[in-house]
Amino acid sequence: MISADIPTEHQELLDQLKDMIVAIDSAGACRTAERIVAEKIDPMRAIKYSIAEAALAIGHKFDTGECFLPHLVMVGDLMDQVTMILEVGIPQEDCLKKKVVVIGAVQGDMHSVGKNLVGTMLRSGGFEVHDLGVDVPSATFIQKAKDVKADLIALSSLLTTTMPYQREVIDDLVSMGLRHKFKVIIGGGPVTSEYAVEIGADAYGKDAVDALVVAKKMFGME
Amino acid sequence: MRLPFFEILERAKKGPAMEEKEFDMSIFHRTQALQKKFGIKYDPETPLVIDGDLPDRIYQAGRELFLELGAYCPNTRRAIKISEAELDREIAECPTAVDLGAGQDRVKMAHRSVAGNEDVVVVAGLQTLPFSDEQTMETIYYGCARDRCVDGIWGGIILKHDQRHEIQAGAPSEIYQYRKTVEALRRAINRAGRPGMILVNNAPSSVATIAMFDEEAGLRRTDYMEVTGMSEMKVTYDDLNRTAYALAHGTPIHGTHSSIIGGFSANPEGAAIVAVAASLQLISIHKAECFRCGTVDARIKSRVSRAQLWVAGTGIQALNRNTKLIVDGTIGDHPAAGPGTKQYLYESAAGHIVSTVMGAHSTEGTRKFVVGLTPNYGTPLESRWMGEVCKSAVGIDFATADRLVRYLLAKYEDNLVDAPAGATFEELYDRDRLEPLPKYRKLYEEVKNEIQTQGLVFKDWSN
Repeated sequence: MISADIPTEHQELLDQLKDMIVAIDSAGACRTAERIVAEKIDPMRAIKYSIAEAALAIGHKFDTGECFLPHLVMVGDLMDQVTMILEVGIPQEDCLKKKVVVIGAVQGDMHSVGKNLVGTMLRSGGFEVHDLGVDVPSATFIQKAKDVKADLIALSSLLTTTMPYQREVIDDLVSMGLRHKFKVIIGGGPVTSEYAVEIGADAYGKDAVDALVVAKKMFGME
Repeated sequence: MRLPFFEILERAKKGPAMEEKEFDMSIFHRTQALQKKFGIKYDPETPLVIDGDLPDRIYQAGRELFLELGAYCPNTRRAIKISEAELDREIAECPTAVDLGAGQDRVKMAHRSVAGNEDVVVVAGLQTLPFSDEQTMETIYYGCARDRCVDGIWGGIILKHDQRHEIQAGAPSEIYQYRKTVEALRRAINRAGRPGMILVNNAPSSVATIAMFDEEAGLRRTDYMEVTGMSEMKVTYDDLNRTAYALAHGTPIHGTHSSIIGGFSANPEGAAIVAVAASLQLISIHKAECFRCGTVDARIKSRVSRAQLWVAGTGIQALNRNTKLIVDGTIGDHPAAGPGTKQYLYESAAGHIVSTVMGAHSTEGTRKFVVGLTPNYGTPLESRWMGEVCKSAVGIDFATADRLVRYLLAKYEDNLVDAPAGATFEELYDRDRLEPLPKYRKLYEEVKNEIQTQGLVFKDWSN
């Protein structure tokens, strides 16, 4: 995307940063981020463009089988590094506030890979992700969501006999008067969009890429 | 002597400490390096590797990976590692055959050779399928048990007690319901006149799985304990609980693990290496006598994509060429398509053929990959298909297997994402006569004839 309102060489730097993140070139991406800061290019523009576009590109590559979970992890780490460089000159109160996600596999469920994929994808896509791991009781999800002031609780279930715990989290939010505070997205092998509706979830993600698309749409981040 | 179980427990407590992320990323970095070192390359044009030494190189790479990384225990955040000498002893002293089942239904599950003629053990049934009620479940399993082409059946679960109370993993309801399920399985096989046939069921928690063991009414010492290694290359205390019970109780242990294409294994080459490494983990750490060498794809809800056939088939071949271990494949267990469709039969046949030809047994049952909470989403005919195809594939040569698999892939591989949903037992079967409805029977026979013309000669099980 070429923007008319910035010099061409600045746009080139923003594109270079995006490309280096996608290529997982840590040294190159960090150097480019430092140049962006040195050239006094608006760091928020770099975050909203370079990093966001990189996330989209990586998501597409994952979908087409060009990259895999480890690449998502490395891209996520690199995005954090680059963001720290870019945010050096930004007053704390002006830093882009990320939407916060608490994610985990529900109680009784030890399967982590799907949850890891979604969490990493969300992180690459600009969310702040708190991963609670596996076999997470409802109370733990809710307490963490309160502690970090989460926007979204993401519940993974890979077994039909752990799906009831997705319902349990939502029911507990309701009984605690907290339902309105958090959006809830569910997913996992046996989970369906119909089940999401049945238990009162806000959304369903059929896979990691879809979860990111749905989450971004939920918060107007397309 | 094989590594004692209590030594494994000690190493779980005292092995190298590391965070899970570090272990996971090690899988990625090391498999990438090992692919280069051993020249391992996936060729989509060759879903079955039928010549050359690629399987041997995958074996060496998998062995090296396991010796380097060990298995990760999330409970203790440590890696359980074993030495090369210890691994060699595990491989040398692991049984090459194990007896399963009892009386007239007893079978020997032994090491098989690639493209060999050795008998294949098939435990079919509808693996972990949810059922609406006990009577329907027992009826369906009775139907599965009647088929002489299967040596055992895998159980499922009734998702609600009294059709009201949800069964939840880790809760007391799980123990009660799984116990009642296996009692119904025993009644089903007794009714079928096959009281000694192999029964398997695996609850999400170890305590519920252990609770199913009861010589009179549940799982027996002649069945096996299913122990799962968590993907990828992990072992939890819950897994080891099952091992502990099986060792103390005197029941064979069957391990299972799936590498993940798209996970930390990354590409198919990495997934093949991890499939072998995790198989060695299953015998060394989980103390399995037999094990499944398997893979899944993070993006596909089927186990028989081209890449998955390559990964699982080559991993199985690697183990059978280089050891005398008892390998299970069950590649055809979870098609994307649903029961009552030709695609279900095509997909599962491809996996069953590759499993058998590469030297594996198939003992993990079958059902559609995603069934959600839909009850009774399977019939005895899919179980029969598993037995028929797996056993009929014994003795076919590589060229025939390759031709069959290519034929089958052409039938389904473009439809794995939007696979036909199929239908439930009620829609496919005459419940009173316990026979497939004419439409389903016709479909089954059509596909059977079709595959027969491609070179798979089906055995006659009518006597």
